[in-house]
Amino acid sequence: MSELTLLILRIGFLLLLWFFVFAIVYALRSDLFGASNRKNTAAPAASPAPAPSAAPRAPAVPPRSAAPPPVLPTPARKHEKATIHNVSRLVITAGPKEGLEVSLGRDPLTIGRSPDSGLVIRDDYTSTHHAKLLLWNEEWMIQDLDSTNGTFLGGKRISSPTQITLGTPIKVGATSFELRR
Amino acid sequence: MTNTTTPSSTDSFAPDTGVLRTMRKLHLPQKLRNRELALLLFACVINSVAIVLVQLGATGAVDLDLVYLGAGLSALVIGLHVCLRYVAPKADPLLLPTATVLNGLGIAMIYRIDLAKGLVGWSAASTRQITWSAVAIIAAIVVILVIRNYRVLFRYTYVFGALAFVLLLLPLVPGIGREVSGARVWISLGGLGSFQPGEIAKIALAVFFAGYLVRTRDSLSMVGKKFLGIRFPRLRDLGPILVVWALSMLIIVFQHDMGTALLYFGLFTVMLYIATGRLSWILIGFALFGGGAFFAAQTLTYVQGRFQNWLDAFSPQVYDASGGSYQLVQGIFGLAQGGLIGTGLGQGRPQLTPLSQSDYIIASLGEELGLAGLFAILGLYLLFVSRGIRIGFAGQDDFGKLFAIGLAFTVALQVFIMVGGVTRVIPLTGLTTPFLAAGGSSLVANWIIVALLLRVSDSIKTGPASEVSA
Repeated sequence: MSELTLLILRIGFLLLLWFFVFAIVYALRSDLFGASNRKNTAAPAASPAPAPSAAPRAPAVPPRSAAPPPVLPTPARKHEKATIHNVSRLVITAGPKEGLEVSLGRDPLTIGRSPDSGLVIRDDYTSTHHAKLLLWNEEWMIQDLDSTNGTFLGGKRISSPTQITLGTPIKVGATSFELRR
Repeated sequence: MTNTTTPSSTDSFAPDTGVLRTMRKLHLPQKLRNRELALLLFACVINSVAIVLVQLGATGAVDLDLVYLGAGLSALVIGLHVCLRYVAPKADPLLLPTATVLNGLGIAMIYRIDLAKGLVGWSAASTRQITWSAVAIIAAIVVILVIRNYRVLFRYTYVFGALAFVLLLLPLVPGIGREVSGARVWISLGGLGSFQPGEIAKIALAVFFAGYLVRTRDSLSMVGKKFLGIRFPRLRDLGPILVVWALSMLIIVFQHDMGTALLYFGLFTVMLYIATGRLSWILIGFALFGGGAFFAAQTLTYVQGRFQNWLDAFSPQVYDASGGSYQLVQGIFGLAQGGLIGTGLGQGRPQLTPLSQSDYIIASLGEELGLAGLFAILGLYLLFVSRGIRIGFAGQDDFGKLFAIGLAFTVALQVFIMVGGVTRVIPLTGLTTPFLAAGGSSLVANWIIVALLLRVSDSIKTGPASEVSA
């Protein structure tokens, strides 16, 4: 085996090795650049800024339905109980997902950091399973699920399932929402 | 990666796009696995070429026996790939080829050192390394087949914690524990050789830390006073980090293994940081370990020696002393001999460095493949770790996120500690270079890490993330 052949083989092997590294980087590129392309195409499709990032699971309206900026509904009469008949949606009024709407059916809605929650809220102040909206005798109640930082209804921390009134802000972590028609 | 499907925002156009989307979803995993297979075949070619080049360089002739053994390993790796097609079709396609090339390069270099020392058969480290690689890949296949959902690990958080503790204590038990070159981290398996239970313990610890931190992070991240713009935790929340710190200090004192201690403590600190997002944990971690290491350097002679070898490697007294810097300096001479493109596989003299097949495998590879080759290897590690962190980033639940990042980080930290030690960036400590170094326990542990990362990556849902963290 001549010196020259060995030299060529030596350099050839290094090239082969680097070729492999670049093959992997090439396979990666779709992951890197595909993601940013997707963001660009998704951005115009869904309108209010926080909406595309926040498509909650099961009972959610598609993000685009929040397209017309949250129209203020007819002001709710104060202290009207939130029941299955006069509530159709949950609107986030403050927090990172402001503007997001979730339509409410008859099913309970869980709120928390856990990805299996109906409404996923991720911030430092939200617990994994934080709170739950549920129907009692056709009336909406909010229940705190032993969260670390508490659930606040109209500014007061709740300890037991509590009746919700229309338009009263409910605070979970850094997010506030209310029930609307 | 798996999230290359179309965004879900298209699904309200018309029902027929939904059909297309389903078809694409069915099609996508196939594409991922085909990509993996192509890269895997490429990896196997590289490994065979490396072995043939070693033989050509060292002996001038080609002996096909070892190539056949290598082909056996390739068959096992492809077996793992076939398993993935059935049980984890959406798993990451890049981890497996990367690990295969690293493992193969390690075998080629160990074989090269055996040739130089004239070792053949069962006494040769390369034969044992190939056997252990087979065991490790089979272990990975078993993990992939048995653990269909990694979330079951979350249920056994404390079982894994206890398991890690027992594994760490095993080498200290008289009778089965063995001491090799000062470090008491081995257990003897009768006639079968020895095993380093700490390697498996690091996986158990990653499960334990991830599960524990998911349960407690709320209180660890929330409260505390602000000081200099950084929120520091309350004194009583320091409990967990102090316990892990004490554990690593005990490892330094009783097992004489600084590397492992640094690995466990670093793992916990980083997972704590990721779970809480508080920079203060990193600062506290650095302060604690720095203090501990300083104290150890003052009092424990073996740590003192390590520091002296590191700071004063080229002084003749340190170089000639028993347990001195001879090995470290030989490794550096080897790297220098390699230069930019290396001496060529089989044509250097890496065997002059003691332990050139295990602790100093990076120096050996650097000598024969040169800076260009070493950077390719470091690039492979970088890709491997970045895939692991990407898997954690895209993970669907907190446990999976923490677990994947923890696993990826153990590999990263080990590479840093070993490469840094050999190149005299930090004091050398006895860990293994993942996938490359001769050592069965490390290979088994690292292939199990590959299997677990593949398992976590398979569960990542396609499509854009449905929420972002605030």
